[in-house]
Amino acid sequence: MNKNDGIMIGVILILCLLSILIFAKWDKKGDKIAIVYYQDEVILTIDLAKNEKKDYQVMGKNGTVIIEVNQDKIRVKQENSPLHICSKQGYISKNTESIVCLPNQIVIQIQTKNAIDTVVH
Amino acid sequence: MQEKINRWIWISLPILVIGLIILYWIEKNEVKEFTRNLFYMDTYIYVKIEAKDEKKATEALEQVEQIYDSYHKLADRYQAYDGIVNLYTIYHNTDPDATLTIDERLYDMIAYGKEWYEKSHGKLDISMGNIIDVWNHYRTMQTGIPSQEELMLHDTGSIQDIILLDHNQIQNNHVNIDLGAIAKGYATEMAGNYLESIGITSYLINAGGNVKVGKPSHKDTYSIGIEDPNSTVGDVFKIIYGKNISVVTSGGYERYYEYEGKKYHHIIDPDTNMPSSYMKSVTVITEDSRLGDVLSTVLFLLPIEEGKALVDTLPVEAIWYDNNDVIITSKGIANYEQK
Repeated sequence: MNKNDGIMIGVILILCLLSILIFAKWDKKGDKIAIVYYQDEVILTIDLAKNEKKDYQVMGKNGTVIIEVNQDKIRVKQENSPLHICSKQGYISKNTESIVCLPNQIVIQIQTKNAIDTVVH
Repeated sequence: MQEKINRWIWISLPILVIGLIILYWIEKNEVKEFTRNLFYMDTYIYVKIEAKDEKKATEALEQVEQIYDSYHKLADRYQAYDGIVNLYTIYHNTDPDATLTIDERLYDMIAYGKEWYEKSHGKLDISMGNIIDVWNHYRTMQTGIPSQEELMLHDTGSIQDIILLDHNQIQNNHVNIDLGAIAKGYATEMAGNYLESIGITSYLINAGGNVKVGKPSHKDTYSIGIEDPNSTVGDVFKIIYGKNISVVTSGGYERYYEYEGKKYHHIIDPDTNMPSSYMKSVTVITEDSRLGDVLSTVLFLLPIEEGKALVDTLPVEAIWYDNNDVIITSKGIANYEQK
């Protein structure tokens, strides 16, 4: 390997890196993700396209909130609130479905590509 | 050999530089989404702005939160706040003959409510705070329904007792004013107008049953799904495509309780003091979120045929979901379907 080859390899590597960066910008979201907010802060972004089974623990206003991901569905398994509205709601999986835990100020939203912007109810 | 190296450098270097410039340009001009979750008026409010300038977007979201905070406090009839004359302070003022100077925004909302009392022939009645509280109590307890006698006992004060004077003054006649059908629409309209006034035209606000959108940055229209009242998982029965519009739904399918096999929801008919039962939900499409909020409540309290007659006189469209799951639309709804 001479000097010439070294420069060539370097240049090609940099070009590769550049194109990866550019393409990453184009396509940064997974096909289906769940976003978990506490008040205004995104505390979790979960890729639901991975189809795994897993529990997540986050802090809500009234203490720990346990969020369960099962395949491409997500639910609130356990939380502290007077009426347990959001844990009774069960799994969500469709685009723009959401779980709102008002007392805990936890919100879970599902986003998929090319779907409705919002739902009025 | 030396020549070959030179050639490689002279070919790759410009590509590299151009690539970096493109990357920088994309980053700088990319329209990004900035969102905020707010919790006011007993509602989860989602605000999304599409903008290039992060600093401007963050400040705008801050201001939008301020707007909801102010309207929330002004329209709160359960709690007083320092330095604010709100619905609570108006109702609980101890001097019955006093006139109070109130915030112009609160004055405007009450005036709007009085105006719509006339226009709706009494279906929109902001003087029903006490009746609504009776129903709220039963809905929380879930153990029965109030008798007509109990409701009559709390049917104190009428819209005529709410007297607005000049210069943002209100005469205090101990009416328990409820702006439940007005404040959210008002705050949402003001938030949208504010964003437009500072040049942010791509935005989406969803305040419970109250959606207001601008014009999206990357496509022609926003798509707004209307929830199926029969669905427990948030299915959508229709999608509205539009820009610079407000879509507001009133329905009895979310805030309700069941007693002896019958459902009792939260929208109370002033003529009967009971929840109305003409339909499962009604959705109004209009430019003005204030009008949308008020009108969706009025339409929910009117038989569908009467509502259609009213809609034909106004710059709005409406979609009714009746008790037999039949969907009825006003004439111009085709303008909001996907082309």
